[in-house]
Amino acid sequence: MTSLPHSDSHVKKLLVGTVLGVVAFATAGTAAAANRDIVSIVGSSTVYPFATVVAERFGRSTNFKTPKIESTGSGGGLKLFCKGVGANTPDITNSSRRIKKSEYDDCQANGVTDVIEVLVGYDGIAIANSKEATQYDLTLRDIYLALAKDIPGPDGKLVPNPNKTWRDVNPALPATRIEVLGPPPTSGTRDAFAELAMGGGAQSVPALKTLRGLGADDVAGIKAAMAGLGMPGGIYDGFVETKGKAPSGKDLFKTVAYAIREDGAYIEAGENDNLIVQKLEANPSALGIFGFSFLEENGDKVQGSRVNGVVPDFDSIADGDYPVSRPLYFYMKGAHVGKIPGIQEYAMEFTSSRAMGEDGYLPEKGLIPLADDELREVQAIVKNLKRLEM
Amino acid sequence: MQTSTVLLVLVALCIASFFFARRKSHAVAHGSGGLTTLHSLPKHYGYMALAWAGLPALAALALWSALEPRMLEAEVVSSLPAEVRALPEQQFGLYYNQILGYASGGMNAAELDEVQLAAADRYSALAARFSWLRSALVFAVALAGAVLAIRRVQPALRARNHVESIIRWILFSCSFLAVLTTLGIVLSVLFEAVRFFQVIPLTDFLFGLEWSPQMAIRSDQVGASGSFGFVPLLVGTLLISAVAMLIAVPVGLMSAIYLSEYASRRFRTLTKPVLEILAGVPTVVYGFFAALTVAPLVRTLGESVGLTVASESALAAGVVMGIMIIPFVMSLSDDIINAVPDTMREASLGMGATMSETIRKVLLPAALPGIVGGILLAVSRAIGETMIVVMAAGLSAKLTANPLEAVTTITVQIVTLLVGDQEFDSPKTLAAFALGLVLFFVTLLLNVVALYVVRRYREQYE
Amino acid sequence: MSNYDNTTLIAASLKKRYARERRFQWYGRFAVFIGFVFLIVLLADIVSKGMPAFTQHFIKVDVTLDADRLGLPENPTQQDYFGADFGGVVKASLREMFPEVSGRGDKKQLYRLISVGAEYDLRDHLMANPELVGTTQSIWLRAHSEAGSYLKGQVSRALPEADRKVKDIQMDWLDQLRRDGRTQSRFNTVFFTAGDSREPELAGIRAALQGSFFTLMVTFLLAFPVGVMAAVYLEEFAPRNRLTDLIEININNLAAVPSIVFGLLGLAVFINFFELPRSAPLVGGMVLSLMTLPTIIITSRASIQAVSPSIREAALGVGASQLQTVLHHVLPVAMPGILTGSIIGMAQALGESAPLLMIGMVAFIMDAPSGVTDPSTVLPVQIFLWADSPERGFTEKTSAAIIVLMGFLILMNALAVFLRRRFEMK
Repeated sequence: MTSLPHSDSHVKKLLVGTVLGVVAFATAGTAAAANRDIVSIVGSSTVYPFATVVAERFGRSTNFKTPKIESTGSGGGLKLFCKGVGANTPDITNSSRRIKKSEYDDCQANGVTDVIEVLVGYDGIAIANSKEATQYDLTLRDIYLALAKDIPGPDGKLVPNPNKTWRDVNPALPATRIEVLGPPPTSGTRDAFAELAMGGGAQSVPALKTLRGLGADDVAGIKAAMAGLGMPGGIYDGFVETKGKAPSGKDLFKTVAYAIREDGAYIEAGENDNLIVQKLEANPSALGIFGFSFLEENGDKVQGSRVNGVVPDFDSIADGDYPVSRPLYFYMKGAHVGKIPGIQEYAMEFTSSRAMGEDGYLPEKGLIPLADDELREVQAIVKNLKRLEM
Repeated sequence: MQTSTVLLVLVALCIASFFFARRKSHAVAHGSGGLTTLHSLPKHYGYMALAWAGLPALAALALWSALEPRMLEAEVVSSLPAEVRALPEQQFGLYYNQILGYASGGMNAAELDEVQLAAADRYSALAARFSWLRSALVFAVALAGAVLAIRRVQPALRARNHVESIIRWILFSCSFLAVLTTLGIVLSVLFEAVRFFQVIPLTDFLFGLEWSPQMAIRSDQVGASGSFGFVPLLVGTLLISAVAMLIAVPVGLMSAIYLSEYASRRFRTLTKPVLEILAGVPTVVYGFFAALTVAPLVRTLGESVGLTVASESALAAGVVMGIMIIPFVMSLSDDIINAVPDTMREASLGMGATMSETIRKVLLPAALPGIVGGILLAVSRAIGETMIVVMAAGLSAKLTANPLEAVTTITVQIVTLLVGDQEFDSPKTLAAFALGLVLFFVTLLLNVVALYVVRRYREQYE
Repeated sequence: MSNYDNTTLIAASLKKRYARERRFQWYGRFAVFIGFVFLIVLLADIVSKGMPAFTQHFIKVDVTLDADRLGLPENPTQQDYFGADFGGVVKASLREMFPEVSGRGDKKQLYRLISVGAEYDLRDHLMANPELVGTTQSIWLRAHSEAGSYLKGQVSRALPEADRKVKDIQMDWLDQLRRDGRTQSRFNTVFFTAGDSREPELAGIRAALQGSFFTLMVTFLLAFPVGVMAAVYLEEFAPRNRLTDLIEININNLAAVPSIVFGLLGLAVFINFFELPRSAPLVGGMVLSLMTLPTIIITSRASIQAVSPSIREAALGVGASQLQTVLHHVLPVAMPGILTGSIIGMAQALGESAPLLMIGMVAFIMDAPSGVTDPSTVLPVQIFLWADSPERGFTEKTSAAIIVLMGFLILMNALAVFLRRRFEMK
């Protein structure tokens, strides 16, 4: 029963190694659940390039660790953010639109009561195509008529969108097939686009504009407007059933105006704006919808269409002349400030004048900066951790 | 006490019990006439005590850690006033979450009412006590085990056999992990997929011709209605795999034939490992190559002859995937051709057939089932390949057989649906698991069939 | 007569048959050749794209390190340095070098010659040499990646100005700097010492390498012992029954399950059920260990099988138990083979990225992880992230990272081959 010394030690090594491994894991696992010292950020792919630049500067110029940033889309980010408080949930979520009431309620219900809203700047939504093709000159009405699921037909009743080419929409446009690459519903860009471009365009249809103006108490007026548009009454009743209250004309307007066609003319291209740019380069007849910063970054490949006669550029968006521009935000979890080091400091770096000021490094990357008084207000919010009430 | 501390103390206890038992065995042996009277070596008694101290204690630790949150909740809830306990489930969940949030330091006292604060204090006190209880339990179990084992140390005790049977069980559980992994895959994927099929009927998924998985993610959002027809994904996957096979099978098979039948031994030993480098290149590298080099090349070539080629054509992804699979097909075919008995070769050559005639008329027909099996394995690999298509294939699900257009695949969709987003309540995310389920079973089926065919083929010549 | 006919027929067909034979051989040669061409094109493409990333240009700038301008007090602390305006000083120095530049647009172009990282380099330099405050120094500052690409000769003036990032005016300045001997190409150390960055010239692979290291460590610690023990059980102890068959079938099938399915398992079980942290090497390693386990088991079994029965019989013959035989005699002999298989399995895990995408390892992570639960990424995922970045400078970085990754893989495989050789000689 003697054994070779070397083989015996080998077995021991194996045993010791296994035991040590198990201990190491258990230690690591419990330690991780208990404390995290890296700020965790999720959210919008539009804000991602700005957030990463801030994070990098923040990491280099302070003793805090550089935050970790995942690009998940505004909606997906808010969902993760509102899942609860604790080290397993993100501290900050970026959003290319304002938080919705439903999301805010979701947050509250999960114990995320202390939400701090930080406005970081503006971004135009560009409707761009390859530089190889001609630049489009669109109106919001053109966009609505080209991309809505249902549009008013000749008799004023809603019909499934029959338009195949841009010329069908507006005789002044080229006869190319309508092919628009755009973001999916998880994206804030999509929400902003629906609200500003589709909603704006739909208001050029008088019947829809009338519907939008009606209050919830004017039931007869709403029903009459709906009948005029050929909308089935079931929509109204369905609304009452799911929401538990009578819809206003605006609610019904949204269901019509914001619905984007699904017959292949609008192609959902995922959250990745870079990908859309690459696809436009490959396919000169397609248009793409993405943030202005990507347009600027890729100015050598793609060009932005004029919308209502305005070219999307830095000045026109900052002045508010370009009709499709939206604010960018990030949301902080107040409950995590002080528990996870660096959250507030990161937010202060983001909102500092050297980042967000007119000559700061974020405008250099394509962010449209806030006006001076807005900036001061935002800085105060971050400093006092003023909580968002909705 | 933290889990890591508990574990460290436990390890120390185990080591101590090893030395105690070993010393005891020496003592016992000394009393009964020397070491040779022992059934086993002293260290075996030590190992036995170590196992008795460690294993039950570890089990106790795991069990307690799994049950603790539930016990805590039960204790805290039972102390809450009756009207709170009578709250509807969802409201109660929020109420309880706030208690937890405060207890873990995530919330301010101002948010909570008196009862909650008291409950949270109770929770913290209980948690601290439970933590001590746990440590005490674990150490008690370990000590009891060690004492029992050490007390049993007798010259007649078959400690070695005892230790060996414990080790045998550990070895068994290691190999059983493979079954658990499969089970884990099937269950985790199946569980979410079932939830998906509760929303989207199975038939719509399997036979639907349209795939646009984006849905409204909030109640007040007007989003796409979403359609989950799996057919375009399958067609896209098969299209790219077919292109890959068109590259990999001829090149791989002919290389294998040349290397095994014609090439000199030296050429073969030099060439084979070099070509096998292709198999070791990470797929992300192929993806980069496909997206940045091959795709633009295919596009320029196509346009120079007047074809419209998508920038993310199925052709580009397929060609690169084919390159990746060449060595796979090559080594499988090589094995199979070598398994054909030499007698068949020699008979054919002896009849005056040329080498190529022998290969075509004798070797290949004989090896056909094996080669088909090998190709099936290669197809299964092509279907499951992810990075190349994620980087070089498209996202839009188009039902087409034209390799110059962009198509999407099952794996691309899984990645797109799951990267970042992970809310587990929308069909969009769950769809990824349904796709995973399909992918798992398709590749499983291909493999089972292929392995069966190959084995039958081998047995034929053995 | 008929005999004669047949012979002539055969003789007549011979030429054709030989031609066909030669053609067939050429098909074979061509196939091997194609394989080589693919390999060479792939490697040449990557290497040619990646080599420029290993050098980096620096520009010599005369910087006046004025304490007032920097906003540094007497005896500055670390906080003071962190708050000082080094960026402004760098910009001012550039303006002094090109005093004729005016206008906001032109100035912006001028600042874009130097990397944004230069101010941090300058800060660190000054912190190390505080006596330099108040002096004017000629300091080599890192060039911006676009400027660098012009200095490397990757951008041609022939291209229309609108189609390139480096503008004519910047090219003029760079040409002038080059004439004055104020530009220099150096080995790119940052690439090996820094983590990810949004600026191509500051991006490095160290964080990803460290992440890969931790992930592989976890994988090895889990997969190697478990794999070897499973192989030992199946080869030496398992009784022939249904359960053993089930286990064997399972292992063979797991080896062929697409890697992404393991990612789904990791997401559903480790992250959602056990609530382990996202983006952590711990979870990545656990997923990869499940993936490599079949490889390790299968190769370990093969090398245990290959151990000569005489060794086993000799051990059993002198009275060793079955376990002793295996642990003391069979395993040590089989170990080189087992290690070879494990190294190959590890190489597979090192190159794998698909399952890691599922568990949050695609993120912007700059700091190198210091433990298995810190957020981190791994080298292949970093490659994936960079390949997706819009900045042109990242293409060469991606290729360079691939070169490093392939270097490690070749190293690991060479080690495996070396071990196998030694094993075979025995």
